[in-house]
Amino acid sequence: MANKLTKVLVANRGEIACRILRACSEAGIASVAIYASNDAKSLFVELADEAVQLSGDTIAQTYLDQQQILRIAAETGSDAIHPGFGFLSERADFAQAVGDAGIQWVGPSPDAITKMGDKMTARITMRNAGVPVIPGEEIEEVEEQAALIAIEDASHRVGYPLLLKASSGGGGKGMRAVHDPSELISSAQGARREAIAAFGDGRVYIERLLTGSKHVEIQILADRHGRTIHLGERECSVQRRHQKVFEEAPCATMTVQIRDAMGSAAVAAAQAVDYEGAGTVEFLLAPNGEFFFLEMNTRIQVEHPVTELVTGVDLVREQLRIAAGEPMSCGDLMIRGHSIEVRLYAEDAANNFLPAIGKLAVFSPPEGPGVRLDTGVREGDEVTPNYDPMLAKLIVWAPSRPEALQRMRRALDEFVVLGTTTNIRFLRELCDQSEVINGTTDTTTIDRLWPNGWSPNVSQSIQSAALLVASCAEVNGLQRRTSSNSNQDTSDGPVSPFTTLNRRFP
Amino acid sequence: MQNQFKTEDGLVEVTISKQGDSWNFEGQSCQILNDGRLQVTTTDGSVHLARAAKVGDVWWVHLNGHTFKLERIEPGANASEEQGGLTAPMPGKVLEVMVSVGQEVSAGTTLMILEAMKMEHKIVASTDGVVTAINFNAGDQVEQGVTLLDLEE
Repeated sequence: MANKLTKVLVANRGEIACRILRACSEAGIASVAIYASNDAKSLFVELADEAVQLSGDTIAQTYLDQQQILRIAAETGSDAIHPGFGFLSERADFAQAVGDAGIQWVGPSPDAITKMGDKMTARITMRNAGVPVIPGEEIEEVEEQAALIAIEDASHRVGYPLLLKASSGGGGKGMRAVHDPSELISSAQGARREAIAAFGDGRVYIERLLTGSKHVEIQILADRHGRTIHLGERECSVQRRHQKVFEEAPCATMTVQIRDAMGSAAVAAAQAVDYEGAGTVEFLLAPNGEFFFLEMNTRIQVEHPVTELVTGVDLVREQLRIAAGEPMSCGDLMIRGHSIEVRLYAEDAANNFLPAIGKLAVFSPPEGPGVRLDTGVREGDEVTPNYDPMLAKLIVWAPSRPEALQRMRRALDEFVVLGTTTNIRFLRELCDQSEVINGTTDTTTIDRLWPNGWSPNVSQSIQSAALLVASCAEVNGLQRRTSSNSNQDTSDGPVSPFTTLNRRFP
Repeated sequence: MQNQFKTEDGLVEVTISKQGDSWNFEGQSCQILNDGRLQVTTTDGSVHLARAAKVGDVWWVHLNGHTFKLERIEPGANASEEQGGLTAPMPGKVLEVMVSVGQEVSAGTTLMILEAMKMEHKIVASTDGVVTAINFNAGDQVEQGVTLLDLEE
């Protein structure tokens, strides 16, 4: 049963590749990074024992090229592949191909990925396992007219407001909220059209739209020795366009009863598909304490560090242990203190969150007690439009929730990033919102707080102080002291008509 | 010392003055520390440590948890692009005229020296061309934005 891992290939990049490569190093396992040519100088390439450049230019030709990755795994003598999150992490065909090549997949079986990857199958599987699902119905009809009739029929049983979702969907594509029966048919047609275009599968399912609910998810771990456990919950309600922004553990409004019930449901969900490794079962938690299965993510998640900080379990280390056929090392669940994670994006929050690019002329993260930074970048790196704009995850731990929030404020104030616009200030002001302070956030919080977009709250005196700083820096030639200003190549640009001689007169 | 910055709210003129080791602006003062950071004392007496880095023409400033992106406008840069002429970046006095009408000049040639804010500024040809007009003589006072001389490509 045990198949000791000696060398792990990390089929990912950036922050999560760094996280996994460090775990390999700590576990005494050799590691291989694969990288596209535009990642040649990235931090994760440095952290690996070996690094192999992928040929090809696009993501499809590099990080998604299964054959090329399998070939590199064979050539480097890797006996396991860790997919991280995103990219190939939830591709059952890749998990299958890896296994067929005699390489250990760090994750669940292809069958478990398939069952959970199709939302409709997942719902049926969960309902059969006794896990509560959102009131709703699967629409199996493929042909347009028959499907529309079935949707209309089902809408009376499900009730309004309702949500139409693409059966094989994700990322909000093929998703429509319907508040009034008169909008149903046109919304259903739109959802189907989008679903066919994006996934080649027009099937939808229809479910009750639960407003005012929290997004709460349970972390689970399962090994080959018959043990499936949960490690408590994370709350990730604060989202912007289905993108999580602020995550914490435990959930502020969680009770022991709900945690036990939700945890048991998550364990049942995992056991229903013979799950192995780390996974997450997502639920919607209604204000009355009722909860419903949303979906299962069959991989490590972005926000896994908050669970690590409150449980003391190294989830990636456990993934490696479980993949090697060893029993997981954690004992009984014990939640200690409170942890919060925020995602730092290179984006202009004040300008409709447009992605930003630029050079990280200064990248100076906060330090001190209870602060953890998971990142794939360092000072001097260039932020490009090639990949996801997430720069880092800033995670804090403190004995209580108010202290954790205060620590996060302090850490965000200390975080200096110059040269690329980031959402640091947005995150900082988020920490001062009463819903966040009281723990009453739900999935609509950001839209309700800033319906017309966010803009920073800056005092006049700080604004003029910033102008003073910039003037002072300019006049004293501070740009010559910063490594960032290496582009002094005025030779190939137009010659400025004005050049300061800097000669002073008494 | 005067600088012009492009901010979210448009163009802003900033005139700072020096007193001992510190620079002042609108009742606030700023000192440069040995490590390149800047120490700001605001009107209410609170003290903040700022960091600044210049990327291209943009000064990025981190101050009290806020990050500012302030694009420094090269004196006269805009005006000269729009008109093809060479204008005064700020009010001042013409110190020296280095060329004469009809003279052929190459890009980079100093055409005129202007004194403004107790500092000298070279007025430099941005392209090759012929000087077609000189509008001021040494010693003349000029207003900001006036065309100092004309250059034809």
